[in-house]
Amino acid sequence: MTTKSNPYRILVVDDDKDILLLLSKWLTDDGFDVVIAASGEEALDRLNIDEPRLVITDLFMGEMSGMDLLARIHAENPLLPVIMLSGNAQIPDAVKATHMGSSAFLTKPVKQAEILDQVKRALRISPERQQQNPIASEIIYKSKPMEELIELAQMVADSDITVFISGATGTGKEILAKAIHKASPRRDHPFVAVNCGAIPEQLLESELFGHEKGAFTGANQKHEGLFKSADKGTLFLDEIGDMPLSLQVKLLRVLQDLEVRPVGSTRSYPIDVRIISATHRDLDAVVKEGEFREDLYYRLKVVPLHMLSLAERREDIPLLAGHFLQKHHNIGSKKQKHFSPDAMDYMIQAPWPGNVRQLINVVDLCATLSRTETITLNLVQHALQDEPCNLQTLKDAKQEFERNYLISVLKITNGHVANAAKIAGKNRTEFYKLLGQHNIDTADFRSEKNPLTSKNLNV
Amino acid sequence: MSNSKIPVTIDIDLEDLIPGFLTNRGKDLGTLRNALECSDFPVMQSIGHSLKGVGGGYGFDRMSEIGAAIENAARIKNVEQLKELIENYSDYLTRVEVRFE
Repeated sequence: MTTKSNPYRILVVDDDKDILLLLSKWLTDDGFDVVIAASGEEALDRLNIDEPRLVITDLFMGEMSGMDLLARIHAENPLLPVIMLSGNAQIPDAVKATHMGSSAFLTKPVKQAEILDQVKRALRISPERQQQNPIASEIIYKSKPMEELIELAQMVADSDITVFISGATGTGKEILAKAIHKASPRRDHPFVAVNCGAIPEQLLESELFGHEKGAFTGANQKHEGLFKSADKGTLFLDEIGDMPLSLQVKLLRVLQDLEVRPVGSTRSYPIDVRIISATHRDLDAVVKEGEFREDLYYRLKVVPLHMLSLAERREDIPLLAGHFLQKHHNIGSKKQKHFSPDAMDYMIQAPWPGNVRQLINVVDLCATLSRTETITLNLVQHALQDEPCNLQTLKDAKQEFERNYLISVLKITNGHVANAAKIAGKNRTEFYKLLGQHNIDTADFRSEKNPLTSKNLNV
Repeated sequence: MSNSKIPVTIDIDLEDLIPGFLTNRGKDLGTLRNALECSDFPVMQSIGHSLKGVGGGYGFDRMSEIGAAIENAARIKNVEQLKELIENYSDYLTRVEVRFE
């Protein structure tokens, strides 16, 4: 039994009066505040009046079924947990209800312990959970692996401990970092994010540490830098795996000494900043390849958190899709729309290489293009096929292009470095340097190894 | 059929609800008999479904079993089986003896 002062209000919907009485009795005895409705229509009326934190509904009722009620509830409030009860344990119904976002599907006759267990489990995913776990209010989920991740994030939020977030592109690493900041004692101070892979090496140093006036050509005025901007707050170093080696040394020194020296300055100043870093790259492999300093890696990776791909948290898809639809509606869409069951089913099973970011794009596209309130399977399929999936970062794309280009030139010149360098518009030293960076051996392209390209090219 | 009582142990917390619950189940019996007379299979299926769902929740597991059997028999319109099941249900209601713990 829980405490008798449980603050949660639960709406129970069933057209059987004895079931209503029984569930009310069990829930009330356990400290819950219970309101009842004898039909789906009455339940919808009660929702706005009573504002329950959870709904328990029968599947088969009069005109409006429990499934219809679930769809209507989640069209308005996708985060409100709904538990379905059914006298007929039909697996397709249970699957459909789960896909539509129900928290649990129970078969009648239901036992007291079973319903109370499911109610308590479902309430952990309700909006109320933010009171117990502030991070949970920032991130939409109901899956067990995400619950474990959020619990871990909540545990580290209170301290100043350095957090490292790994995970594929589009999984929401920055959202998690922001949520940790908001749940931390630093929440009233700035959260500053910088993408280390998007800023040229020369600029990144002054961007991070600041510079003095006249420190370099174009430094017309003093710049404080992001460490200073994030004073007493959190600095989020996104795509840390793309940070140039030369800067990694300087960052390591800053983290060790807790002092920053702006470019062109002779003086350092102390910093009070929490560091959260993230990357989509396999940093263990990058360290092994020598592209990332091992000492910095371990300095950053005090608490590693891994953001799951959308495919690893498929049960969150209905909840997320409902949330993004609601957001789309809130920013100006006239009609509240919802996905048809087969469209939702398709989305749950889709590969989602672009993760949550791709899901947002698909939901927005569908909500914009759908002429009816129900978004069809065809439209979802169209949106998913049109989605430019799994895009590389610009840096990765450039690296890949550069490597393929060097290989092409060496093939054409049969591994003749002077000719290849001439085509590439580089001197031989620069060209050798590029080959070294990409670990390319010119011997692999000479005629005896590469009979297909045996003719030298005179340029 | 035997005249011996069928003891059923019910959670004492439900004591207040049981008289009303059993009155409603008696009404269900009347509805079932009328529906059987009129061969109203949807009504018998619905009552069977309801008994199945509600009986075990209150602690009357046998009631849920009979309800499920009535629901199935009504679905396939097996009149002979329905007659037997409805009498079984009547017998159960007559002999059931509730003990609260």
